Amino acid sequence: MLCKLAWGNVRRAGRDYLVYLLTLTLAVTVFYAFNTISVQVDLAGVTAQNAGMGETLGGIISGLTVFLAVVMGFLMVYANNFIMKRRKKEFGLYQVLGMSKGQVARIMTFETLFVSMAALALGIVCGLALSQLMVFFTASLFKTQIADFHFFFSLGAFAMTVGCLAAIFLVTLVFNLRVVARAKIIDLMSAGRQNEAIKTRNPWVSAVIFLVGLAAIVVAYVRLLHDGLPYDGTPEGMQTFGITTAIVVVGTILFFYGLSGFLLKALQSARGLYWRGLNMVTLRQLSAKVNTVSLSMAVIAMILFLAITSVTTGMSLASTMNSTVERGTPVDYTRCLVYWSADVVDEMNAEVQAQEAHDAGAPSDAEAVADRSDASRYAVADDPIDMMQASAGDTVDPDTADARPFDLASIAGASVQVDTYDSIPRDADKPVVTLWDLCRLVHMDLPAGTETSDMTTLGLAVMTESNYNEYLRFRGMETIELGENGYTITSDMGATVNDIYNKVLAEGVELTIGGRALRPVQDRVPEDASTFQNAMMGMNSGTIVLPDDLVAALDLSPYISYLMVDYADDVSVGEGDAYIGAYRTYGDVTNAAGESVAGWGVEATRTTTYQSVDSMNGLISYLAIYIGFVLVVACAAILTIQQLSGVSDASRNYRILSELGTSVREIYHSVFVQQTIFFVFPVVVGIAHSIVALSVIIKLVALFGGMTIGGMVGITTLIFLIAYGGYFCVTYVMGRGIVRDAIRTRHAA
Amino acid sequence: MQMQHLTDTTGAAAQPPVLDVRHVEKVYGSRNNVTRALADVSFTVQRGEFVGIMGASGSGKSTLLNCVSTIDAVTSGHVFIDGVDVTGMKPAKLTRFRREQLGFIFQDSNLLDTLTARENIALPLTISRVPAREVQVRVEAVASRLSITGVLDKYPYQMSGGQQQRVAAARALVGDPAIIMADEPTGALDSKNARLLLECFETMNRTYRATVLMVTHDSFAASYTNRVLFIRDGRIFTELRRGAASRQEFFNRIMEVVAMMGGEGSDAL
Repeated sequence: MLCKLAWGNVRRAGRDYLVYLLTLTLAVTVFYAFNTISVQVDLAGVTAQNAGMGETLGGIISGLTVFLAVVMGFLMVYANNFIMKRRKKEFGLYQVLGMSKGQVARIMTFETLFVSMAALALGIVCGLALSQLMVFFTASLFKTQIADFHFFFSLGAFAMTVGCLAAIFLVTLVFNLRVVARAKIIDLMSAGRQNEAIKTRNPWVSAVIFLVGLAAIVVAYVRLLHDGLPYDGTPEGMQTFGITTAIVVVGTILFFYGLSGFLLKALQSARGLYWRGLNMVTLRQLSAKVNTVSLSMAVIAMILFLAITSVTTGMSLASTMNSTVERGTPVDYTRCLVYWSADVVDEMNAEVQAQEAHDAGAPSDAEAVADRSDASRYAVADDPIDMMQASAGDTVDPDTADARPFDLASIAGASVQVDTYDSIPRDADKPVVTLWDLCRLVHMDLPAGTETSDMTTLGLAVMTESNYNEYLRFRGMETIELGENGYTITSDMGATVNDIYNKVLAEGVELTIGGRALRPVQDRVPEDASTFQNAMMGMNSGTIVLPDDLVAALDLSPYISYLMVDYADDVSVGEGDAYIGAYRTYGDVTNAAGESVAGWGVEATRTTTYQSVDSMNGLISYLAIYIGFVLVVACAAILTIQQLSGVSDASRNYRILSELGTSVREIYHSVFVQQTIFFVFPVVVGIAHSIVALSVIIKLVALFGGMTIGGMVGITTLIFLIAYGGYFCVTYVMGRGIVRDAIRTRHAA
Repeated sequence: MQMQHLTDTTGAAAQPPVLDVRHVEKVYGSRNNVTRALADVSFTVQRGEFVGIMGASGSGKSTLLNCVSTIDAVTSGHVFIDGVDVTGMKPAKLTRFRREQLGFIFQDSNLLDTLTARENIALPLTISRVPAREVQVRVEAVASRLSITGVLDKYPYQMSGGQQQRVAAARALVGDPAIIMADEPTGALDSKNARLLLECFETMNRTYRATVLMVTHDSFAASYTNRVLFIRDGRIFTELRRGAASRQEFFNRIMEVVAMMGGEGSDAL
């Protein structure tokens, strides 16, 4: 019986439940589709070339789903409150007719259950369809071929989705039962008449609040544009950034708090416009809602801002990597070796000594002594070591049955080793040239984000002319001639940093190094001849090329050695990559005295670099779309619910307007304008915030090779807008329905 | 009792009636379950008249007002307002007609709670796209006539019930309608405020020559009118004209009719 009543209620209150159903269905669809990621990655053939990718993504997505389910849970509670508010009288009537609170609660449980089941069924069907489509999307994202496409159903994703839905259902239920348990019959019965008290504020005060909010936002923008992001994480930087953030948050809240008052005042001063048709009604209606709605509008603006900024940054970064990866992978295989610097050597030797003293005191701890590496002392290298030769000390796939020795020479064709030197001479404590020196010489500021870091004291790496020419010959490029007094600078960092170098070179700035005056021999940084290792983005942040005799005279210690190898002609890329293998241990890098002079750096084949870029791209795009979509849907749903409750509160006013002879069309128009303002302003503010934030982020990212807005940003934005716009349409259509009913039943009340 | 065509013969030749109700019938329900709310009702109202319609609850007086005011459709018969038949009008045209020719006052004042009194009164004018300057002038003029200038910039929730009703009256009057329909306007008011509102109606009627049709079950309210139509069981039972009689005399005569119709009069005062 109660079940039947509940079913009838759901069908009758269908329109009220529609937003609830729609949002829950969308959530189920997205939850299911994205949680099939590990299956999709399989189908799309990503795992074939990138083992572990599916699990990594799957793990992240499951974690995110739980978080997003919590967000959804609260949204549903909110949506449900809206339905409850409109039906309090009905629940009161049940009780007046003699139903117990328990029975009323059961009716509501059934209702919530019906809607949740419907959402589950609809959502899974849509999710199934979406997940099949997404396989193609995944394949294109990860740039793979679909090996064997077939219809699939993921039990894991289904279980995850049902679990989340059940959690949402329970949370909603608890809140609903609390409402019923607490309510008194008299309150329930009079709920229909208790119109939300219209609190009006002085529009002048509102207008001032609005202007203060606007000013705060502008101040925050200026501060952010001026100070940049706290890239280096210094306390002062973080504090400044924190204050800017606080200003923009407060500004946004004030902006929305005063918005309607400001609009009211602005339009009132245009008398002809204000006293015309329903304009004043529209504005007054807006300002009457401001108390309940302004905070959520501000929150939504901030959420949209976060969604837009993170999605755009992530995707653009990924796509930038994509476009620079070709330049970033000049050869089949690279490895680099970073030498210990004097500071590090002192520090580590001190540690070793402490450990030895400790061991001497506790001789029973024999294992610790045995465990330590053979080279128990560290030293600054005298000369760069021959990396090709050193590679013979590697073991591939150690600790497995397939463990095998390694010799790079057996697959190597052409190769070159690039050796760079630390720019602090052994007998000095200052670098021969720093970026900061160069900035001052050409009257430029240090790049954004580096002002307070140790960039002021960090020297440029140094390499010899002959070594650089060796590199250029290997790359098949024209060699350079420095002569006695020439220099040039290499860097593949792009944009900001290279702007400084380019200016230095173009202006022919004279540098005095080691007592010798030097002039540049090139007028631009040779960006295409500056990459020494395979990497997703530029890694050479500035290496000055000096005449060989000058480098020798400066007495510099080695900094980093790079080995660049193309496979031999009779070794295919597949064979070469397979020989390199995935896991290895490196041989020790020691000097003649048996002291350790370097730890191993990074190795990368061209193939793995491309794969990392594709995976990173896929990962970022996935997460960005997933989070972004759910957040946007949540925001839109909140706006929809608020608007509908607003329209239903104001339906009496619309009825009166109709009685006074306003055409229905005009009333719809007024509702449309109100809803447009509510939907559009948060987006406009969110976008404005994003543009400012993005411009700062672009400046910062320019340090690492730059970024242009691109990739999937366009299409993602389109998806978001469609979702948001869809909610707007639903809101308008349903709002019209409420108004139409109110006008039709004008004299029944 | 045959009471058809209760026409004010004195002015009929000089001027057409502002309201002409002819053989109006209103039937609710389906074929098997018929409720006849109005049965063959006919009467006219001349320009500048203040007419009351009295009857017990369920007598059909509110249905009559709804039919006359175009809010409800008649089953048969015709209603002419200013010579125009409104019974066959299309909804869009009806909306416009209602806006331009009719003014409404209801039991609960039906002011928009988000607008100030000034804006509420201005509403019929702005809807009709009257220029802003003229709107201001007309609102001020009506407000000062009805002694509500002091509350013009207040919101409904800041006003008393009587003030709200007078604002509603001003709103009905400001568009200069052919006829003002008032449905139990004093129903929710105490006697002092009711008296103020009725005096306000008299002012409207005398100084603006506004035609007012007021439905009430209150004999005291009815005694302010020029003429009272009594309705019983969906038919016009009789009518009373005030003529030169004082309000007190008219009230006594109304009470007699009410008593004759059987009850309902005892709670009038």
